[in-house]
Amino acid sequence: MGRTGTDHNAIGQAGTEHNVVGHGTGQAGMFDLAVVGAGPAGMAAALTAADHGLKVVVVDEQQRAGGQIFRQPPEEFTGSVLRPTAGYGWATGLIRRFEADERLTTEFGWSAIGVLYDDALPGGLCLAVNHPQDGTRVIGARRLLIATGAYDLPVAFPGWTLPGVMTAGAVQTLVKAQKIAPVGDVVLAGAHPLLLLVADLLVREGVRVSEVAFAQNIPKPADLLHALGAVPGHVRMLAETGGILARLVRNGVRVSSRTVVTAARGEEHVARVELARVDRRWKVTGTPRAVDASHLVLGYGFSASTELARQIGCDLVYDSPKGGWVVSHDDRLRTSVPGVFVAGEPTGVAGADQSRAEGELAALAIAADLGRDVSATALAEAERGIRTATRFSTVVQRMFEPAREALGDLAGRDTTVCRCETVTRGTLDDFLEASPFVSDVNAVKLSCRTGMGPCQGRYCEGSVGTILASAREQPIGLGGRFSAHLPIKPVPVGDLRTLDSFLDAPPDAPPDGPGGDGSGAVDG
Amino acid sequence: MTRDDTWRRTARRRGAAVTVVVDDEPVPACTGETVAAAMLTAGAAFEQDSGGTPRAPLCTMGTCFECAATVDGRPLTRTCLVPVRDGMVVETSRRL
Repeated sequence: MGRTGTDHNAIGQAGTEHNVVGHGTGQAGMFDLAVVGAGPAGMAAALTAADHGLKVVVVDEQQRAGGQIFRQPPEEFTGSVLRPTAGYGWATGLIRRFEADERLTTEFGWSAIGVLYDDALPGGLCLAVNHPQDGTRVIGARRLLIATGAYDLPVAFPGWTLPGVMTAGAVQTLVKAQKIAPVGDVVLAGAHPLLLLVADLLVREGVRVSEVAFAQNIPKPADLLHALGAVPGHVRMLAETGGILARLVRNGVRVSSRTVVTAARGEEHVARVELARVDRRWKVTGTPRAVDASHLVLGYGFSASTELARQIGCDLVYDSPKGGWVVSHDDRLRTSVPGVFVAGEPTGVAGADQSRAEGELAALAIAADLGRDVSATALAEAERGIRTATRFSTVVQRMFEPAREALGDLAGRDTTVCRCETVTRGTLDDFLEASPFVSDVNAVKLSCRTGMGPCQGRYCEGSVGTILASAREQPIGLGGRFSAHLPIKPVPVGDLRTLDSFLDAPPDAPPDGPGGDGSGAVDG
Repeated sequence: MTRDDTWRRTARRRGAAVTVVVDDEPVPACTGETVAAAMLTAGAAFEQDSGGTPRAPLCTMGTCFECAATVDGRPLTRTCLVPVRDGMVVETSRRL
């Protein structure tokens, strides 16, 4: 259960018949800010907001703060300390400050499943959250910050549903935070520098890594440094990457460039993978070669987690180098929906430095919005932090942008594109051929069931968009994106009854009403 | 149980030893581990897809739902997010 600081109306303790937190319990129970996600953006935002006197609740699905990039081992694993990736020395301090801050209310193990608006709560919003054991609750807040992070970019190819195929983020988490390691030979394939970090992590755990295959030419550390100019904070990380490469080669790991994985083979588990040479645009040129492997680790880059923004109705824009569909915002990180702000990877996948800087700026903007005194110096500093981080992230985004068209071609007719509903590429191709006027991914979803399963399209939207774009010879963004509805992460049907009773008989608004601190109320 | 040779525990200093029950089979685990990590280490099978083909966790961060199972009677629980508790009951059925 969550830790509560000064506020005792936390989830599960509110005791209202409607299971509403910070709602119907008087002004004291209403949060000024609800933050979804306790990664670099969410942690920085929560601390900055609390520094400006805001009452903050932070919700995260995981058990501890840090987000995916700084996922901490469980507290039960004594002696386990977080070792942040090189170049992110500030992470440990940020996490410790966040965990020690008595002003914050934190709710770990809870998933945000959507936002509701309630006439009895003008100027506020209700964040519905769900827990694997405790069901659904609602949190009332004046402002919302979406800091939901990113997940590994899914790429469909023959055999990618086989046990033994995992994303780089998955393996990193299991090794670093759960302290388990794969047994047998491991092949890593993709296009993102994270692959090198994960390969290094595995080698240091004594795992046999037979090959790391990169779709592009591997940029040399010197190239990266040249591209970056003088950005002191990142030099260490890049130097580290160079060291990793040398260490892998020394350990007998084959590091291949211009190579993609075209198939994973095996009966009940991966037994071997097929790797093929590709051209500059990642199109397969040669005959694949087979490599024995018990595990295949995929790291093509990241997709921004935008389902909550979608459910709320925020405008999104398609930007391939930034991670596909990302949330539109102004220069103070306001989304198109009043009261809803965004920070971190959902604005465009740009790494932990930029996420932290955006979290700080968003919190300052929210504090100002709620009538708190925010110094011009603090705002200027936060903006400078974002500018500095952007110089680095833009280079990385450009250098490692996935060649989506070529990746789309990896799926053959029999390849499962939608893992949840087991819809093949062939089904999509046949439908698109028979329905020449369909040019929208949601139309494909309704007809072919792609994206209708429990993952709600997170793992097939990219493939469907690419296949559609290729069939219609149109840009990927023109095909649109899947819509998202509450609950954005599926929950047992019974859990939604809580929301029914809440909507049928909303409790009274807090006596002063939200925004009773004299700040302007939000429209709509 | 399918394969018990695909994942191993590394750190020795883990949580207390507990047992979870996966499809009527006892699976040893340590507090702090997620159900998915305990299942991977034990070689326990995850839910099969509608065609009866084996599946296993892909993301282990709560987004892909490949590790979902019925945990203590609650369906669609992402086992990668839930820490083990002694006596926890996990059921993996073929998806509809």
